[in-house]
Amino acid sequence: MAIYIYGVIDSNGRPDDPMIGLEGALVCNLPYRDLGVVTSDLDARIPHITKEHVLGHERVVERLMVNFTVLPFRFPTIFDKKEDVLAMMNDHYDDFRDNLGRLRGKAEFGIKVIWPGDKIRTRMAPGENSAPMPAPASPARSFLKKKFEEHQIEKKIEDEADKHIALVDGFFNKFAAEKKLEKLKTENLLLNALYLVEKEKQGDFRQAFEQLRSSPGELKYLFSGPWPPYNFIKMIRP
Amino acid sequence: MNQAVKTDSPGAFLEEMEKTRGTLPKRIVANPQNVEKGLAKLVLTLIELIRKLMEKQAMRRIENGSLTEAEIERVGETLMKLENKMRELKQIFGLEDEELNLNLGPLGNLL
Repeated sequence: MAIYIYGVIDSNGRPDDPMIGLEGALVCNLPYRDLGVVTSDLDARIPHITKEHVLGHERVVERLMVNFTVLPFRFPTIFDKKEDVLAMMNDHYDDFRDNLGRLRGKAEFGIKVIWPGDKIRTRMAPGENSAPMPAPASPARSFLKKKFEEHQIEKKIEDEADKHIALVDGFFNKFAAEKKLEKLKTENLLLNALYLVEKEKQGDFRQAFEQLRSSPGELKYLFSGPWPPYNFIKMIRP
Repeated sequence: MNQAVKTDSPGAFLEEMEKTRGTLPKRIVANPQNVEKGLAKLVLTLIELIRKLMEKQAMRRIENGSLTEAEIERVGETLMKLENKMRELKQIFGLEDEELNLNLGPLGNLL
């Protein structure tokens, strides 16, 4: 016997429509005070995780999102017995309540931007004699000079990336309650951004993407969402 | 919910996302055949992190002009030897640069 957890919701009532979750098991809402932890009873822990399991978890969370505020749990979260689940709820109740309050009526959106980082690097002139390095007179100096030139190029690329990111973020920032921006995760992935957006502003957010997408330039864009707010849950208490 | 993924370049994004996957295993695979390589990868990754930090600090000091002639010589020699030694060790353990990566959370990847 194992208890699979999809997430915590802001209701201790039974879900209106019966849902089937992982391994064909019924989805239940286990009440804890005014909240509920959404679970499925499995015969055992999942021995071989498949793509279908991951999508099954996501499907349940997304259906819950229609009627409730959801704190999605990381896939796969499994407890051995009900008492352990209730103990976890007891330990983190205040955090769960705070997060549910903060995330109510909001969803997560992703914006990714690719730029030709590899080409930009080759375009950057090395050094331009701005290096306060004397002419190399030894292998050690020559090594350091080369490193310094590379460092200067990196700095120029970072500055260029910051300018582009500020421009892209300008399209979305005004519609977001919170955001997380990750710069240059790879040479070409200029921006990996996550935005938390209120329901009423999601139309504007989508429109901002269409505007950005139609603007000329050499950047490539990817939009995704709305998703459960996986990346905006903040657990403060240990 | 009307989930959507919109892009004109799905292939390019797939390729970049593949690159963002961490290379360090969640667990060290410790069996008699590869325990040495697994541990070497972990240790060399940490040394690489320290080497990069030293290099960044040196660049900052050069920019500020706070290194004397003698210090430039010494720092250059140290960093050069360290880089050569790392190259040697990577060769011994059959490790590529991309394998010595580390996800530093909000700071991104080490390499």
